[in-house]
Amino acid sequence: MIELRDIRYCRLGTRDLPAAEWFATTILGLEVMERSKRAVYFKSDARDHTLCYFEGEPEDQTTAFEVATSDELNGAATALEAIGHRVVRGTGEESELRRVRDFISFSDPSANKIELVLRPAHSAQRYHGTRDAGVTGFSHVGLFSTNAARDEVFWTTVFNARVSDRLGDAPLLRVNPVHHTIAILPGRRPGIHHINHQVAATDDIQRSNALLRDRGIPVVFGPGRHPASSAQFLYFTGPDEVTYEYSVGVRSIDDEPIYRERQLEASARGACQWGAQPVVKLI
Amino acid sequence: MIELEQLRYVRLGTRDLQEASEFATGVLGLQHVRTESSRAYFRSDYRDHTLCYVLTESHYASFAFDVRTPEVLERARQAVADFGLKPRFGTEDECADRRVKAFIVFEDRTGNSIEIVLRPLMSGWRYFPGRDAGVTGLQSIALRSMSVDDERLWTTVFNGRISDWVGDACYIRIDRLHHRLSLHPSSRAGVLAVGFEIEGIDQLMQANYFLKNRQIRIKHGPGREPTSGQMFITFEGPDGVLFRFATGMTTIADDRAHLPRQFPDAPSSYCAWGSEVAIKELAGARPLADIEMRIP
Repeated sequence: MIELRDIRYCRLGTRDLPAAEWFATTILGLEVMERSKRAVYFKSDARDHTLCYFEGEPEDQTTAFEVATSDELNGAATALEAIGHRVVRGTGEESELRRVRDFISFSDPSANKIELVLRPAHSAQRYHGTRDAGVTGFSHVGLFSTNAARDEVFWTTVFNARVSDRLGDAPLLRVNPVHHTIAILPGRRPGIHHINHQVAATDDIQRSNALLRDRGIPVVFGPGRHPASSAQFLYFTGPDEVTYEYSVGVRSIDDEPIYRERQLEASARGACQWGAQPVVKLI
Repeated sequence: MIELEQLRYVRLGTRDLQEASEFATGVLGLQHVRTESSRAYFRSDYRDHTLCYVLTESHYASFAFDVRTPEVLERARQAVADFGLKPRFGTEDECADRRVKAFIVFEDRTGNSIEIVLRPLMSGWRYFPGRDAGVTGLQSIALRSMSVDDERLWTTVFNGRISDWVGDACYIRIDRLHHRLSLHPSSRAGVLAVGFEIEGIDQLMQANYFLKNRQIRIKHGPGREPTSGQMFITFEGPDGVLFRFATGMTTIADDRAHLPRQFPDAPSSYCAWGSEVAIKELAGARPLADIEMRIP
């Protein structure tokens, strides 16, 4: 059992780095931590960075999770190889690019690129966003899955992920008390379904809704409230058609031994208790 | 100084009692109490009724606060007359129509009809609406005003206190709630909006999508008032009267400690979320044409 402590960052390839930076700062409200020739690193909380856009293909998307010790990292590599997953050890240079001590990379059964990282850099400076979006931090990712039931088994048996709730066959998985850190969502191809940042309050969701409207950024779902996690949400479209989400009020599962996941319908009703309709098929 | 106790009811004229009744139950989610002699009564809380639709061809709107004793009611009549307005006692039939023991009615300088009532009827039955809109009661009235005397009426004759100003619009409280009445400079008289309190943000946002699905025009919100702190959504009702669902209004516990604040005459003073406004009186100093352009 590999214990994922938390989600750490997403690395996204883009053919238009300035446009991605404009979106990540002006719209999303993140702070530029560092610019290199081919990449921009963004900060959303006390960590060094939680999002990185680099010059590359938009299909090149990676999600990273943190493990606690090098023994666990080595154990993870062995365990994954034992069940037939190809594991690549990060080089020193690659670790440097990710601001981590060590990492391994592999793909989940749907071919989503995943990294497990050791001792990722923390930041000495607090996060100060480009705009007052109320962002409190990078929180979870939605991953497309070509077979949700198969991927659920992968994440819950190889890793410490537990099912918090399901929308149809799509499991919402937690690796710590936060209701979900990974959402597995049916799709025809692998890739990132959405990237979530938490905001401080209801007001932040609603004010961003007005800002997106004024800026002509497509809101694809919300404002709404998820019955599963009780979080208020807003989904909108970012660079290269990646969906971003703001949310507030995600429930914490502190009664682990007695908690039972619930089955919600895979529809707008199951995804929003306010009556919002997704513009695109999000679920 | 006349002590007003509660905001009791709103009476609105309508040309189509059936349509207005369907709106009151189907959209506002109020409980129908009775329909009789071209009147339809609706409850929103523990009281007999808080909304009464009156079948009439002409513009008609009135609302009532209550006072505690016949002596206060008589003093109110005297004080309103001294202020230069023309109050009169309601007839027996008018009292029966309103389910009150006695009342006076008068028009403010703008021409808005105001009633002060005594012993309005309570209901022994729990409020049980037909639709789960989460309404908890009649909350406030937004009134159009053409005279600064209107503000003085409430703050000198009655126990109204100014909570805040936005430009020359004012929010007036008679109890701890930030406001029960707001006066908005306008070119005409009339009730601008009738506010019902709802349980919380879930009901507010559910109302948002409910209204959109029924193509009921949302004129403002969902938003949050920087003045009162409440979240709101304002939408169009029958006969041009606006209704508002709101939740989370702040209270002012210490009258002496609260200094009314002056907010700029701008749309941002009416909504901290940046929602679009299609209400002339709340558009601030900006010309409305400017704002209507942006509404799809």
